Amino acid sequence: MLKFITQRSLLALLILVLAVALLFAMIHMMPGDPASVILGPRATPELIAELNQRMGLDQPMLVQLGRFYAGLAQGDLGLDVFSNRAVADIVFEQLPYTIILVLAAIGGATLLGIPLGCFSAINRNSLLDRLTAVMSVAFIAIPSFVVALYLLLLLAVKWRWFPAMGAGESGDLVDQAHHLALPALALGLGWVGYIARLVRASMLEVMEENHIRTARAFGLPEHTIVIHYALRIAVLPTVTILGMGIGAMLSGALFAEIVFSRPGIGKLLHEAVVTRNYPVVMGSVLVTTTFFVLSTLISDIINAMLDPRLREGGRSS
Amino acid sequence: MAGAAIAGGFPSISWAVQGDQLHIRNYLDIASLDPPFSLSGADGFVQEAIFLNLLKFKTDGSWDTELDAAEYFEAVDDTHYAFRLKRGLMFSNGFGEMTADDVKFSFERMIDPDLNSINAPDMGTLSHVEVHDRYSGTIVLHSPYAVFIPIAVASYGIMSRKAVGSVGGRFSTEPPCCSGPYLFREWQAKRKTVLERNPLWKGPDAAFAEIHIYAITDAKAAEMAFEAGQLDCAEISVESVEPLQRDLPPDSSLQVLPSGRNFWVGMNQSNPALQDLKVRQAVQYAIDAEAIVEATWFGLAEPAMGPVPRGMLGCRERTLVPARGDAHKAKALLRESGVELPIRLRLDIASDTLYKTPAQVIQWSLKKVGIEVDIRTHDAGTFMTLGQEAAGDQWKDLQLFFTSFIGSSDPYYSLVWFISEQMGHWNWERFSNEEFDRLNGLAQATNDVAERDRMYQRMQDIMEESGCYRFISNGVMPQIVRNSIKPAFTPDGYGLLRGFRPAPQ
Repeated sequence: MLKFITQRSLLALLILVLAVALLFAMIHMMPGDPASVILGPRATPELIAELNQRMGLDQPMLVQLGRFYAGLAQGDLGLDVFSNRAVADIVFEQLPYTIILVLAAIGGATLLGIPLGCFSAINRNSLLDRLTAVMSVAFIAIPSFVVALYLLLLLAVKWRWFPAMGAGESGDLVDQAHHLALPALALGLGWVGYIARLVRASMLEVMEENHIRTARAFGLPEHTIVIHYALRIAVLPTVTILGMGIGAMLSGALFAEIVFSRPGIGKLLHEAVVTRNYPVVMGSVLVTTTFFVLSTLISDIINAMLDPRLREGGRSS
Repeated sequence: MAGAAIAGGFPSISWAVQGDQLHIRNYLDIASLDPPFSLSGADGFVQEAIFLNLLKFKTDGSWDTELDAAEYFEAVDDTHYAFRLKRGLMFSNGFGEMTADDVKFSFERMIDPDLNSINAPDMGTLSHVEVHDRYSGTIVLHSPYAVFIPIAVASYGIMSRKAVGSVGGRFSTEPPCCSGPYLFREWQAKRKTVLERNPLWKGPDAAFAEIHIYAITDAKAAEMAFEAGQLDCAEISVESVEPLQRDLPPDSSLQVLPSGRNFWVGMNQSNPALQDLKVRQAVQYAIDAEAIVEATWFGLAEPAMGPVPRGMLGCRERTLVPARGDAHKAKALLRESGVELPIRLRLDIASDTLYKTPAQVIQWSLKKVGIEVDIRTHDAGTFMTLGQEAAGDQWKDLQLFFTSFIGSSDPYYSLVWFISEQMGHWNWERFSNEEFDRLNGLAQATNDVAERDRMYQRMQDIMEESGCYRFISNGVMPQIVRNSIKPAFTPDGYGLLRGFRPAPQ
């Protein structure tokens, strides 16, 4: 298991380095002069030159990338050109809001989706199974930003059951949870359907396996068979998908953050790209990529813990 | 958690105007509250409430100024301004009384070459400040600078030398001290800035115990937050005015304020397709500005008289090219030019509804006279550099573009971007006129109001005569406000927090 974790960790690190380099190149290929965008109409040629020098933009791209990695090795992500604050401070101020949003969304989707999928599989072809199928497809089909807008209009603006903006007062967990509910629901609703369909398909396959028949033959209670024998295996593909899902949700979080005027790394990154604030873009991209790579790594490890065959390099069922 | 919330529901909640609080939108998060480094009106919006200036703008909707920290402020001559501070104005956080030395420090650091302030140009010809005693001094300019008062004196705060020194000579989003009716309490990045009433303030009471200023970049999100009861005042989008007028949220009202922004079509006269003056004039006459204004601002705005908005010194009473345009004259000009029709031109715009709608009307207008237009949209960051030489050779391909600039409290700020020096920088039309440049210098240097008015009007005539510009509108700034609030705005629609009051019952 240790060897497996080490191998996966090294691979994750390599992916991170390459992803950051690729995104660095893409950002610098974008048209637009950051100094003019940042400084606006007051940008004199002298100020532009000074800012370009401060941002390191007068250096060749490889040198800029090298400096970034060198700073990174010392925990320095550079300075924000607008406020002169450390990029690390800015990014880590915003990151918790996005992580909480994504985890709430995926957690909620998992808590709803897995039981739904299980139920559908056990009651295959029943009316409830068919209803669940329709709802699942509907949830998957509707884009999350459309869900967000309708939730906002109905539950926040019209009925005022939930706040329409913000993340809640610091230190007030109830208020923060209240502010989190709608964005998390908007972000996670599609995944409820997706997870439900996935778990249903997986369960149907596993329930036909020989070991399930054997367990039934031994007279084990059905709920024990479902939870301890079937679901444990059926949920493996879901765990893998969840790791990738977190990455997809990171991009979806941007829409939720804009619609609900929530702070977060998605909005920070969007504004930084528009304003060509390269240090903040790089810092945000690094952190989100790390988050994504880590979540995939964790899901691989969980999969390996659930399925010992994976630790030996074998294929999962 | 989400499911439980949906099932249970919550009672409707309104957070706005809880007793003594004001909840208001800022269109951007603050970047820096330190005057040499503040980047936008979003910073100025907060600065106005927490810092004193020698003078401040009145809250009566005019650009007139009145005394603020100064009890006396007079122009001794064209280059000397004498001031005397009110006694007992205290900086917060124990940094003591405001003195003339703090005024000297605040003005001179704006032009300190070591600080390299982005706002140094606003100080114009400032030389230095002489301190005569604890409360009085004289601001000295190298040469006359007519816009010194509205742009320099009334717009940037007086800082405590001791306080700024205590934080290493500069700060960003958290000022070391305040001096205005409100104190800075906290800044939650990308969320909100919270101000509170200053107990040391000796002027008329700050109207609210707290002001919560939310950074909401999207106008639609702000509208929904207002409708949900979480904001007391917000700038909204133009297309929302009519639906809201039909179905206004309870206890609220709409104010459609004039804007100081200048929207225009520019023509790069160095591009081969537009080098002929008659072709450019044909484009001017072909464009129906009235139709653009109707389509974009739904009749709420008016066609512009030029970059200088109505009500400001230097605003013209008529344009040389009629607002509706003249398709017949446009066709005649094209015939005179000898150009073979149809011709194809490119129109570059930023990707925002305020630009896309006019672009389509421009396309329709020009098609009627035989000019085919390809519209190219860009993200804001890319668009801002299209005409800039520093960004590469792309400026050579620029032909037509539709854009806007935000003005300020003086016509100088609406026109200075079109001087010859700005060619290759912000003068994307590559317009250069000796008389225009000369008038720009003279208008800045004279305090004769009538003369400045004449000069700025003539400058706009010259711009139009060049064929490089088709002025469209100055737009509007729609604001939605709770009836329990009496707001205060500048003539170009920006909020003056110090002037906000609970409405009389």
